[in-house]
Amino acid sequence: MALASGRRPWTFYALSAFFALFVLFLYGPMISLLILSFQGPSGALDFPLRHPSFIWFRAIVHPTGNGDIIGAFSRSLPLALIVMMLTMLISVTAGFAFRRRFHGSALLFYLTIASLIAPGLVLSIGILVMFRFLGLPATWYGSALGAHLSWTLPFGLLIMFSVLGRLDPSYEEAAHDLGAGRWRTVRDVVLPIVLPGIIAVALFGFTLSYDEFPRTWLTAGTKNTLPLEIWTMLTNVTSPVLYALGTVTTGFSFFLIAVALGSIVLIRRRRSARR
Amino acid sequence: MTETLLTATRTAARPAARASGEIRLIDVTKSFSPGSYAVREINLTIPDGCYCCLLGPSGCGKTTILRMIAGHETPTAGEISIGGHSVLGLPPGRRGTAMMFQSYALFPHLSVLDNVAFYLKMRGIRRDERRRQARAMLERVQLDHLRDRMPAQLSGGQQQRVALARSLITNPRVLLLDEPLSALDEFLRLRMRGELKSLQTELGITFVHVTHTQPEAIALADLVVVMETGQIEQAASAAAIFDRPATPYVARFMGGQNVLTGRVMQLADARPRLESSEGWIFELPAAPAPPAGATVSVAIRRDRVALSRHDSRGNSVPPNAIAGSVEATEYQGSYFKVTLNVGMKHAFVANVSDTAFAAEPVAAGDVVLASWRAEHVHVLSRPDLGDAGVPYLDTTE
Repeated sequence: MALASGRRPWTFYALSAFFALFVLFLYGPMISLLILSFQGPSGALDFPLRHPSFIWFRAIVHPTGNGDIIGAFSRSLPLALIVMMLTMLISVTAGFAFRRRFHGSALLFYLTIASLIAPGLVLSIGILVMFRFLGLPATWYGSALGAHLSWTLPFGLLIMFSVLGRLDPSYEEAAHDLGAGRWRTVRDVVLPIVLPGIIAVALFGFTLSYDEFPRTWLTAGTKNTLPLEIWTMLTNVTSPVLYALGTVTTGFSFFLIAVALGSIVLIRRRRSARR
Repeated sequence: MTETLLTATRTAARPAARASGEIRLIDVTKSFSPGSYAVREINLTIPDGCYCCLLGPSGCGKTTILRMIAGHETPTAGEISIGGHSVLGLPPGRRGTAMMFQSYALFPHLSVLDNVAFYLKMRGIRRDERRRQARAMLERVQLDHLRDRMPAQLSGGQQQRVALARSLITNPRVLLLDEPLSALDEFLRLRMRGELKSLQTELGITFVHVTHTQPEAIALADLVVVMETGQIEQAASAAAIFDRPATPYVARFMGGQNVLTGRVMQLADARPRLESSEGWIFELPAAPAPPAGATVSVAIRRDRVALSRHDSRGNSVPPNAIAGSVEATEYQGSYFKVTLNVGMKHAFVANVSDTAFAAEPVAAGDVVLASWRAEHVHVLSRPDLGDAGVPYLDTTE
């Protein structure tokens, strides 16, 4: 690490520059968006910022021909919550099933993971065609829900693999040794130990669904989800209300992450405080 | 070290009428995949109240035996009983055994107190009552002041005490310990070794302790079971194992022994003798006399060997001696370990007391004669075929 001469190799500067670029491309747009969402009424879609105001935030809540943001949110939120619950339930139970090698487990695993490779738009078209063929209407709570799960479940399963891979089987054996049955072992030992991982699965399920565009595009039916609504607005509306919306949704995502991390910390603290 | 593992008195230990902790394994075989055996046809009786060490290199099946007694593995064939009753089919929690895992397996999400109280919680005992009992147990291992800590906040030695307390609160008749000292540093290991022994003496229950370290087994066990590739090589007291190893493998694995092999010579009246392929002659004890012509291996303790300078020109080697050149000398405190090259596959080692060494010092390159008295020759139950000495480990501490 610390060389005697104090000089760093050239790779240090090359990699630092690369990381700086990474940060610039990740946070630069977000920060620009954040600043421009406070654009004044006379301001344009880009810099400079003139007469900062909250006018575009107000425009989200009181739509004036800017699209149905509230309506889209009222579909995106429950959809993301349903996807989250199902992803959590299925990934966790499937993860436990995969702990034991069963006949065809490898094939089943690759079949699941393959949906990460399938192009989202193509899948979206395919689902629409399939639903048409079956004579079913495309809805956000039907075809779009299935499309989202095809995206979130492999992620959830992969996370559970890494979480359960680190779970030492001797915890369960110790629980059995101390007189715990199968169910008590799961409830009192296994679940609490892997809870942070389960929260991570939930968070992934939620955020992947909440901002999913390609797989929702053709499967959501006549009513838009939030990413679709934003896309529609982009093609019609050109006002900083898009930036305000971006700021609000980004803030909402950060808020969710904070809630998830906070709940992990809180669980830990309550455990050590519960005497 | 004033701190000891248990501060409670013997009377607090256990009610007088306690279930027997005698463990019996009859023809126990465990196979994880067809055609290969983790352990094969094991027959072993561990008496009630015995400190038993299962000793062997990794992969010899010692942990598999422990796990089968605990109920974490099911034997492929055979019978396991504890206290005269078969435990096959019983879940681990109903065998009267408690296991201390190598990793300790303390539940990371529970405090020290809740870890110890876990067994009582599973039995539906009220919270304040189980806390009271768990605290009493923690006081016995002198960790009550750490009861609100989480396991990750404890040192290795403290974690081990918690694991011990968590096992003992189940009031077991058998305590199973899987490499309990391997995660500790040298200082703590020696200290905990002493504490485990006094704990076993105090509780009077059966301890089964898996280890790959010979000094640990010799220091602790009433019964040492030396294992190799799924089978028991010898099960006997530590002194018997060390002094009178049954097989070349045990002799080499326990260390402290030299193994020599030869053919029994045809002799009418005198002591039976062995002649090695190098032409050396070793006298055997008078009885039991092996048949002439048989290949026999013997063990000679390193500390029974005397060294003297040897002039190889023209001087023949007398019986009960071999000649070789000194490869290395190593000072060990109370003795010198002298390694000789005698032209065999294994080096010949003599442990020479510091006074004897001072009287006649040797150095690398010297040609010496290593000799011993005939009564120090111990005949092994089977000849050394050369394949048994692989996991050769030294017992020097």
